[in-house]
Amino acid sequence: MFQARSRLPVLPVIALTLALVVSACAAPPPAAQPAQQPAAPAAETIKIGALYGVTGGMSSIDAPGMNGMKLAAKQINAAGGVLGKQIELIAIDGKTDQTATTNAASEMINVHKVVAIGGLNDSTFALAAGPIAQKAGIPFVTAGATLPTLPEQIGDYFFMAPFGDDAQAYAIADYAIDDLGAKTAYMLVDQAYDFTTALAKFFKERFTGRGGTIVLEDIYKSGDTDFSAQIAKVKALDPQPDVLFISAVPSEAGLTTKQFREAGLTAPIISGDGFDTTLIAEVAGENADDVYYSTHAGLDNPDPKVQNFVKAYTEEYGRPPENAFAALGYDTLNLIADAIKRAGSTDPKAIRDALAATQGFNAVTGQISYASGQRKPDKSITIIKVQDGKYSFVKEIKP
Amino acid sequence: MKRLLPVLWIVGVMGLAALAQSALNDYYQRVLAVIAINIMLAVSLNLTNGFSGDFSLGHAAFMAIGAYTSAILTLPARTKAIVLPDLPPWLGQVELPFLIAILIGCALAGLVAFLVGLPVLRLRGHYLSVATLGLMVIVQVVALNWQPITRGARGISGLPPLTTLLWAYGLMLVTVMVIWRIVHSSLGRAMMAVREDELAAACRGVRVFRTRLFAFVTGALFASAAGALWAHLITAITPSSFSFLLTFNVVAMVVIGGAGSVSGSVIGAVLMTLLPELLRRVETALAIGGQPLYGLSQIVIAVLMLLVMIFRPQGLMGRHELIQVLAGLSGARNKPSSAPAELAGEAQRVA
Repeated sequence: MFQARSRLPVLPVIALTLALVVSACAAPPPAAQPAQQPAAPAAETIKIGALYGVTGGMSSIDAPGMNGMKLAAKQINAAGGVLGKQIELIAIDGKTDQTATTNAASEMINVHKVVAIGGLNDSTFALAAGPIAQKAGIPFVTAGATLPTLPEQIGDYFFMAPFGDDAQAYAIADYAIDDLGAKTAYMLVDQAYDFTTALAKFFKERFTGRGGTIVLEDIYKSGDTDFSAQIAKVKALDPQPDVLFISAVPSEAGLTTKQFREAGLTAPIISGDGFDTTLIAEVAGENADDVYYSTHAGLDNPDPKVQNFVKAYTEEYGRPPENAFAALGYDTLNLIADAIKRAGSTDPKAIRDALAATQGFNAVTGQISYASGQRKPDKSITIIKVQDGKYSFVKEIKP
Repeated sequence: MKRLLPVLWIVGVMGLAALAQSALNDYYQRVLAVIAINIMLAVSLNLTNGFSGDFSLGHAAFMAIGAYTSAILTLPARTKAIVLPDLPPWLGQVELPFLIAILIGCALAGLVAFLVGLPVLRLRGHYLSVATLGLMVIVQVVALNWQPITRGARGISGLPPLTTLLWAYGLMLVTVMVIWRIVHSSLGRAMMAVREDELAAACRGVRVFRTRLFAFVTGALFASAAGALWAHLITAITPSSFSFLLTFNVVAMVVIGGAGSVSGSVIGAVLMTLLPELLRRVETALAIGGQPLYGLSQIVIAVLMLLVMIFRPQGLMGRHELIQVLAGLSGARNKPSSAPAELAGEAQRVA
């Protein structure tokens, strides 16, 4: 087979090279789609990066986030833009891949010269892309990454639009004590994620700090499907705990609920935004009862700003917002636009300073204020209740 | 002239890298660095998958070892005291230069490859692929659970961005040149003989197991160096960074370029790095109704891979090198390449 030295290998090489050249030519240098509906195409636009893992593992929450950001851009532009200029979103797919995400962040900054970047719902990617913006002196607002230490880890150009895991854990602990009258709690913690362990740590801190008792703390690892060993230990408790706190990511939210309820444990189940998934109703079905969790927004919150967002999103995309991350994306761009307006300039440094000075910004996911020196917002937190497989907004609390 | 050729390559590539580093903006530098890293990965994986015929899927494991080693050794002691407070004191204090950290990572990866290779390389074919895949899972799980050293799922972030173009292309040149020399030496001939027919090779005096182990360990060394470069380019690593997806990507580069061709791996790596970057621009440019066609680049690449596999299953270059092909094109017929039996004979004569 070695003798078969044909000229064939050259052909595919040439073909692929051609493909490369063609695709390079097909793409105009500023590759982003221009802001939708350029009513009167302004001579100059304000370029803002929208960075999300639209495809890949983060797709189910990042794609709605991207849609939320685009909706905000469209609304702002329809209302005349910011500082008399239209917003041009440079929307790039990070493919849920660290290399692609960092390349995209760098492309936005160095090629498209964006003045700010928003997006990303996961700290793994925020920690990779954030430092690039930090080094270039471009403000970066994460739409949904909730690791509370992100701003300190990355630097003074990094802002969080969502609350931190500490705040949402405090909120559900307060709700358990004040509204559910809980004095004792059981904790089940997924050891595989930083998010679940941090959430549990902050919950315990608040619950015991306010005089509650943790009667039993148990663990599992994401991917486990059988919780009978943990359930047996809970059933052996006497008296039974007042609430069951389960620190889980969406994949186990439904499973744990189903198995705990089927085993006859009836105490309220409480958790954080890892439970903000339709999987609870889908997996646990009628067993999805008396479940409470803290999250970014309740889409049936009667507040007009929430309902206006839901209406606009439904009109634009033909379906209601998939989850709270759509609202967070929408808020992120509005937050940046508001900062540009207050800064009166598109200089990234001025935008950063205006962002840091944000006070009482009225977002769909709650009021955003940055206390002095903080780049993680003091923000209200939404409590959602699941009953008979139906999700309903309970209240907004500020811990 | 022949002796001058490597010098020319070094001067040429490093000169261009230095030029690019001073002239291009960060984005193009970043893409160029990714290309160099991918070339290192593909060429080193080709040593086992292409030349000695062991289809390994464990490359990401060695990358992870290099990345974590270099991350822990180069992180400033002050930062380490905060992010990794549970490190053993001696490890918490060290702060090594990049090169030393890379070399230590290589040594560790080589050691692991050696220890794992002893039992695993007794397997062949699918069995070996699955066993090396297992190695990747083990390394990932260790990184996930060895909290005091690796910070578990949280990963290590804020690494110093040490990967410049000079580093990337310098190490890439070392990788390609060393592997090129190996492949064109008696050892390389022995690898190919083992790939073609293990029994025949053994009969002609090739030490089959040693040859395969050598290929496996050498590949691991360079994968580790590439992992260190990658870690200091991205500046944040988690256990999930080194997943099957990464391995798959490198395997695709090798298969598309042509398993058994060094220049093929280089071409495969360049294509598989540049195509997604370029296609990403197409997917935003070809918006339908205001919606960019996200995912298009992945589909196009998958279709291209299918086409290559259907029409040219041996990869773009097959087992030829670019130089041979160019020579063939210009009409100068080289003597036909040796058949497997000849390879074994050649290897034996030199040995």
